[in-house]
Parts: sequence; structure tokens; C-alpha cells
Amino acid sequence: MSKIIASAAIRGAHKIVERVENKIKEAIDQYGPDKEVAYPNTAYYLPIIYGILGRKVEKLGDMPPIIEYCKQLLPEVPAEDLWIPYLGPALDAGMATLFAYDMEEALKYVDPDKCPYLPGGTEWIDPASDNIWLGAADDVIMRKRGVEFVDGSAPGFAAVVGAPPDVETAVKLAKEMQEKYLYVFMASDHNGVNMAEQLKEAGVQLGWDTRLVPFGKDTSAAIHALGFATRAAMSFGGAKPGDYRKVLLYNKNRIFAFVLALGTVTDEWYAAAAGAINYGFPTIADSDIPEILPYGVCTYEHVVSNVPHDKIVSKAIEVRGLKIVIKKVDVPVSYGPAFEGERIGKDAMRIEMGGPKAPAFEFCEMKDLDEIEDNKIEVIGKEIDEYERGVTIPFAIWVQVAGRKFQKDFEPIIERQFHHLINQAEGVLHIGQRDILWMRISDKAYEAGFKFKHIGQILHDKLHQEFGAIIDKVQVKIYTEEEKVKELLEKARAVYHERDNRLAGMKDEEVDTFYSCTLCQSFAPNHVCVITPERPGLCGAYNMLDCKAAYEINPTGPNQPLPKGEVVDPVKGRWEKIDEFIYTASHNAVEYACAYSIMDNPMTSCGCFEAIAVVLPMCNAIMVVDRDYTGDTPCGMRFSTLAGTVGGGIQTPGFVGISKLYILSKKFISAEGGLKRLAWLPKALKEFLVENGLQKRCEEEGVPDLVDKIATEEDCTTEEELYEWMQKVGHPALEMEPLM
Amino acid sequence: MAFAIPKENYAGKVREIVIGKGDKAVKIGGYDSMPLCTFEGTWPNKPVVAMEVYDVAPELNAQGWPPATFEAFKDVINDPGAWAKKCLEYGADLICVQLAGTDPNAQNKSAEEAIEVVKKVKEAVGDIPLIIWGSNNLEKDQEVLPAIMEAFPNENWLFGPAEEGNYKKITASAIGYGHLVAGKSSIDVNLAKQLNILIENLGLSLDKVVMDPTTASLGYGIEYTYSVMERISLAALAQNDDKMQNPFINDLAKEAWKTREAMLTVEEEPTYGEQNTRGILMESITAIDLIAAGSSILIMRNPTAVKVIKELINELYS
Repeated sequence: MSKIIASAAIRGAHKIVERVENKIKEAIDQYGPDKEVAYPNTAYYLPIIYGILGRKVEKLGDMPPIIEYCKQLLPEVPAEDLWIPYLGPALDAGMATLFAYDMEEALKYVDPDKCPYLPGGTEWIDPASDNIWLGAADDVIMRKRGVEFVDGSAPGFAAVVGAPPDVETAVKLAKEMQEKYLYVFMASDHNGVNMAEQLKEAGVQLGWDTRLVPFGKDTSAAIHALGFATRAAMSFGGAKPGDYRKVLLYNKNRIFAFVLALGTVTDEWYAAAAGAINYGFPTIADSDIPEILPYGVCTYEHVVSNVPHDKIVSKAIEVRGLKIVIKKVDVPVSYGPAFEGERIGKDAMRIEMGGPKAPAFEFCEMKDLDEIEDNKIEVIGKEIDEYERGVTIPFAIWVQVAGRKFQKDFEPIIERQFHHLINQAEGVLHIGQRDILWMRISDKAYEAGFKFKHIGQILHDKLHQEFGAIIDKVQVKIYTEEEKVKELLEKARAVYHERDNRLAGMKDEEVDTFYSCTLCQSFAPNHVCVITPERPGLCGAYNMLDCKAAYEINPTGPNQPLPKGEVVDPVKGRWEKIDEFIYTASHNAVEYACAYSIMDNPMTSCGCFEAIAVVLPMCNAIMVVDRDYTGDTPCGMRFSTLAGTVGGGIQTPGFVGISKLYILSKKFISAEGGLKRLAWLPKALKEFLVENGLQKRCEEEGVPDLVDKIATEEDCTTEEELYEWMQKVGHPALEMEPLM
Repeated sequence: MAFAIPKENYAGKVREIVIGKGDKAVKIGGYDSMPLCTFEGTWPNKPVVAMEVYDVAPELNAQGWPPATFEAFKDVINDPGAWAKKCLEYGADLICVQLAGTDPNAQNKSAEEAIEVVKKVKEAVGDIPLIIWGSNNLEKDQEVLPAIMEAFPNENWLFGPAEEGNYKKITASAIGYGHLVAGKSSIDVNLAKQLNILIENLGLSLDKVVMDPTTASLGYGIEYTYSVMERISLAALAQNDDKMQNPFINDLAKEAWKTREAMLTVEEEPTYGEQNTRGILMESITAIDLIAAGSSILIMRNPTAVKVIKELINELYS
């Protein structure tokens, strides 16, 4: 921790504790030690002292022992030439400050006639009233507002101390925070002005209902923000009074609050900021003060300074790790799943983007948090209203996302969402992905005011809504100039290619964690998919990266990380921890499964498999049939009959449900010899595999002419015929070890 | 050799949940064997019957209100307080205030009106614990249920249904105002577990949570309800999964009474036999099946059916 900050905080704390001690003495002299002291209408006494120390302050006489405790907490101000770790002492000084402030504020309530605050329980501040200061919130307000913090309708609060340089900035800051559903708690002053006063001057409605809450003009009034937080931890977090650890952790983990220091940072502010750090609330300052950047008590940085006013809210949100709440997609047309399947014919079309007639693509790219600005949407080139009706134009949707938990691997997963996100807008058609993008916007949507920029708005709003767990910022650029689209398309294509290679390059042996998928247990109760880099889910919809992203987004969902543990059988694909997981997650129905075998306890299937691999005993080979092929197969059963045999979470040696692309994996039934066993495929599936690199895989297996040796329904549809075919073409499976 | 009943030893135990407070509080759960298998463990708390009181008076022969049910309440049907008292006379263990009238597609009654109804019921029944059941409209329920919790803080009543789409608001208010939550998931073990986890993550102790796995009527999919309840119970007891160890509530009357079998008159369907008995049997047999599936709270409507079920419970769990 910066020594300058620590020294300042400790100095400030000494000053505050001394001042409050004197005030308590004066009060006791005036009213006697038995005089009651309390905040209005609360069961939590002086909440910080009660929550952290478990001690009840009910009368003035209860205060001096607390002051003694504060003094014990107060460390010495570090000497000029002393260099030791400062964080601990500074945090202690911060805590002492908070206790002292709690008492200083409570003293204001001792004489109701002199109390500077509006009556307890005031939620709405009359614009005509000179007094705008609310002081401590009572328990009714705390409960009502606390619910919003728990259910997420308010993500947190900003404790603003001081004031920005002018009224205009104050209004802008307040509006920006309101738009993010944050509560703004205001206290203290900078050059004699508090932000709440600036807002009042500008005619902004203050009070709990507008979430702009002026606590008081003294710095000590900032304590009401932490008092609120402490009570919330006791009321909603089940923390018992005195369980300081739980109180502080609840706030760190649940209440996304931060301190905005606007103006000259005094020693007192430093001391209070140190107190807030105990709660995990970082400080963001507009002035140039030393920073505390390493992570530790707070989730990320502790003190970030010299942030310009137009960036300060987004910086605070980023530093506190706060998630933005978006309630409604901000576009001029209706938006929802009902419009997803809508088609736009030529007659109803205002404009067409991409498709067969023009280049178009969409692209998602990860950026650093500092590199992009959230909700910045640019259209580079002409907007929709600058085109004639009915034209086809080049188009590029370039989306940049950033997030503390975002990983490069998630780019394609997010990009794949664009299709259904954009399609949900009424009057907008989206087909294809990557560089085969094809879009249309209807006349009706155009007349309603839909513009290209709204495509960016949809993506911004929905990505925050659905992927807020991993995405903190979304910036969108839309290009309509042919030159630029073509230029960027080349860049995008290079990345598409790189992505395909990266996934293809991942090996089961190189990772120590696989992922589970129990999504289908709703109808196949004992089925468990174990998804590895080289064995995608049998439905074809989930590969390892999808699972990883799904887990980050929904940590309690059906995709969970599975550490492999010790290898039990490297050939058949068994691992200690995976065996255990399968046993438990299948409700003890499946003892273990071999990831790479079709003969020994093969993996179970739910019913969603894209294809089924089947052993053909006479041929010493296997065949694969996919869902789209409805004709006869050499095993004597059609797909539908086979599906009944394989599905439902049971293990049937000789049969296994798989995804189509798994056939091209090096781990495709590798326990029984892999691809070389493959003797029959439906023609369409074979063509699909050839397009996806079957030839290359055959070469890797050492049988370059295998593609031609795999029969299709055009060659044979019975096992006898297939056996003859295999002999005729010299299929390698005939020479392999017997399967059974 | 004497015959010894083969017994299953279960590792887990379902949480005991207390609804309401004081002498009249109702306890459910706390069992460590599968339903009816009391030779393998104990069911310290018998299943209980909560009888319905509606916020909006139903009309004779409206859906779910054939004569068999309507007649039993016709004198009190416009007065939720009197209706609730009548339920107690009929043997209800608790009262379930059904807020069907708050549904925007029905009468769209406001939260304030719902609070008035609850107030009348509370005044009439005193300390008997209440179950407050929303209209199954996600949006409206998350507005109405928290408002009622706020109006009656710390009563420790049970509020439902809280679903994945609205559990946050309902749960947060339950924490803040001291109530319990019934989490409803759609016929799926994993979804039920996930909802319990989500509710707990928000900060509500699982000691305050009851599960509604979606209830179907006899003849209309009860086997699915049975099956999912059985699987949740096995997970809770055999596998000792502590996220599943919560008792069940079944909102069954609505389902049983809206069936063709309950609603069609003899004239409309002569082969079905006498209408009143038929409806009562639909509700009773649905309830019996759910007891066999492990239900702890049965939300019921008809006094005769309630009488049958109460006798049955007493015999089964004496």
C-alpha cells in the first residue's frame, strides 16, 4: 500500500478520533451519561459499532469505551524513514474512523431541536425545502431498498464525497449513475459545496425514490452509507452482530458499492476511504493522488485516481466489478423471441445486406477494458436512410467486448449468439454467420425508425443482459463501405481460420479439466455427458469451450468443470475423478464410462445424438448413421430403431451416440482402432465429413485411400453386401484385431 | 425362519420446516424415509392440508367450481375471512390464500387489494399460518407477493410460487421481511435443485424453502409429478444431496377441479356417473397419489375430499 496514503489515512484517523472524543465529553457534560442516543427507528443501534463489534450503544455513557477501543486500533503515524507494510495499520485506522464517525453522527440526534437532518423515514425531499439532508435511513427504508440490492434491481451504490467542479458535471454524473440503477449517497463537501446542493440548484429531484440520497454535509455523514451496508449484511446476509468477518465479506461479495472522491482528498477522506476498503469498497478519485492498484481486500484495485469526470462512473463500475443492469432493449421496434422466425420477402424489404450479392460478415473480438468504451455504437459509412429502397449493400458488424472474466476462447461463442439476438427484432432478418451473413430490414421497421445503429444497440443490450457474467463492456462498429468491409473481411477470415485451428489443436491429454453436461437429465434422468476437447457432446451443440463459457455464465447450471484426476485407462479413456462423477451424477446407475470405446462401457446417450456408431460383428468394423438418413443400414436397423436402443441413459456395448464431427477426432473410438474401423456411412454424411477434412484424417491414420473404401447406401445396405464390398476394396478393418 | 422386512437405510434426512409462529405454527418435513415406508425411518410430521380461500369469489359452474365445491362455500364465498373460518371448521391445518384474481389476464387485482384480502383472512383465523399463492404470472407475482410480505413482516408465512423468472424479487423480500418461499420448477430434478441453489445463493436459508415440482392432476400427467418427486426424494435420502432435502408442496385443487371429469355434468357425459362424487374422487385420489409421492403440504378445496384425506393421513402416519 502506498505509504503516502497510509500515512495520510492514519493521520486523519487520529484527528477524527480525538475530535469525536471531545464531542462525547461535551455531550456527557451537558446531558449526563444516561442520556439516550440512537438513530431514528432502527433495531441496529449504531450500526457499524453493532455490526462489527457486536456492542450496543444506547446511551452517551456507552460511547467512551468505544473511543478507548478506537485508540487501541489506531496505529502510530509511520515515521519518515520507516518502510514497513502499511495496509494492515491503515485498515485499522479506517475502522477506528468509522466507529468514531458513527458516534459523531449519532450525537447529532441527541437533541431533536438541534438535529440538522430531516425527520427519520423521509423518502422524498420537497424541492421547496431548504434542508435536503436525510441523515440515517430508518429500518423501513433500509429493508425496502435493501431488497433491491439483494434481487439485483439495484446493483449497488456510489458513496460520493465532495462535489465535481460545476453543476453541469454534477447533473451528468448523477444521470449516468441513475441510468445504471445505482444509488447515489452524497456527503461531505469540496470547497464548501456538496454534489447534492449542485443537483438541487439544477432542479434535480432528490430523495430515495430518485436514488439520489443526500446524507449530510459533514464528511462523517458518509458513515450512513456504510451503516446502511452493515445493516443490510445483518438483515439480508444473516450476519450476527459482531460477526465482522461475515458483515465485511457480505458487502464485498454482494453490495457493489464504491467511493467517488470528488475534490481535494483530505486526510479525513483518506481515513474514511481506508474504512471503506475494509468493506471491499474501492475509492475512485478525480484528483491526482497516489493509487493502490494491487488486488487484495477489494476484488480489484483499491484506489484509482485522476480519472476524468466523463470516465469516472464507468471506471468505478469496472474497478468494483459491477454488472450493468439492462431492463429493456432500446430499439424502436418490438423485440422478443416471437419475431425470431419472421421472414422478410423482397416486397416488404427496405434494404438487404450481404447474402449472395454483396460481401458481409460479423465478428466478435476481445479487447482490454481500457481499449473500448461501453455502449459506443458507430456506423462507419452510410446509414439506412441514405440508401434507396430495395438495394443490396456490403455490411460488417464488428463487435468488441471486454470483461475481467472474458477469455479469447469465448469470442466465437458470443459471435454465434448474434444470429438469434438480432433476429428477435421485429422486421429484421438475419441468416448465416461469419462471412456468409445475409440480412434484411423491412419497410415497416424502417418506418418505425430502425437504423443500422440499432443492430449495435441490440447487441450491446442483450450481451449485457445474457452474458453479463463474462462481459463488462460492449462496443460496436458497423461498416457499410465496400472497401472497408472487404479490408476487414480479410482480417476476420484470418481469425476464423485461427479459431478453427485452435480448437482442433486441443488435446485431451493436455488439459486437466473436462466439462460435464447434464442438460438432458430432464428426460434422460441418468444420462451424463463428459465433454473433452477431443470428444464434443453427442448433440453436436456443445464442445468443450461452449461448456467452459456456459459454466462462467451460469455457475450453477448443467455444465460443470470436472478435474480428471489420475488416469485409469489412457487407451479406453477413463479417469479416476471422471468415473466418480459419472457414478454420482447418473444416480449410481452407470458405474463408469469409457470415453474412447464402443465395446467396453461406452458413454451413455440422452437421445439428442446427431449420429449413432454401431458395431458390425461380421465385418469386424463399425458403421455410423446420422439422423437425416432414414433408409436401411447394414446393421439391419434404421436410425429411428437404433435411437430407441441407444438413448435414455443406458450403456449398450456395440452402440454409441455421437456428434458428427467426433468421427474426425483422433479419439473417435480409438480404443478399438479408430477411424480405420469405419466401413459404412450414409452418402450425405460422408460428403459432410469430406468437406470437413476426412481425407486428411485418413492420411493421418496411415490409410490415405480409406475415404474410397467407406461404403454408402449406394454401394450396399446389408452387412453381407458390406462384407463383400470390404473384401473387394481391401478395407483395413478386415485385418484388424477382432472386435469381439 | 421368521420373515424380516428388507430395509433400505437412508443416509439423508429432509429438513424440518416451520411455517408461522407461536403455538399454531405448523411443522413439516424432518423425515428420513421414503413416503409411507415408515418401517425404514420416521416421518415426525404428517403431511398437512392447506385449504384454499380465493381473493375473487368464483361463480357456480365456473371452471373448477361445480356444485360439489361451490355449495360447500356459497354462504361465505364473498367474504375471504368467513371463508377461511369455514375452512378451519372443515379441518384445514393451514389456509392458502389463492390470489388468482391478481392475474392480469383475470381481474388484474392490485397488490393493495390482495393485501386487503390477506388482512381479512388473518383477522379471521388469528395465528393459523397462511400460505400466500400468486396467480402464476411471473411479472405480477413478483410485484404482489413482496408487497404482501412487506405489509405483514415477520409472520413466517409461506409464499409461492417463486420460479426461475421471478425468484429474486420474491426471495429477497422473504429475507428482508421474514417469510418462507415455495420454489416452483417444471418437472425436472436438476431444475428443482438449481432453483434451490439459486434461492440459497441469494441468502435465504434452505430451512425456509419448500419445493413445488409442478403438480398435475390424476389423469392429466400425475405420473410425471410422482416420478419427479420420487427422484428428488431419492436424491435427498439415498444420495444425501443436501440441496434437495426440502419438503414438497402441491397446488393440486386447481388441477383436479378443472378436469373434464370434475366439470362435466351427467347430462353432458352420462357414462361418467354422478358429478359430485366424481369431482370429489378426482381431488381425493390426486391427493392420495401425491401423499404416496411424498407431499408434505396439499393445497385442497373440497371439504369432503379434505375429510377423506385427513382420515387417511391419520391412519397412514399414526
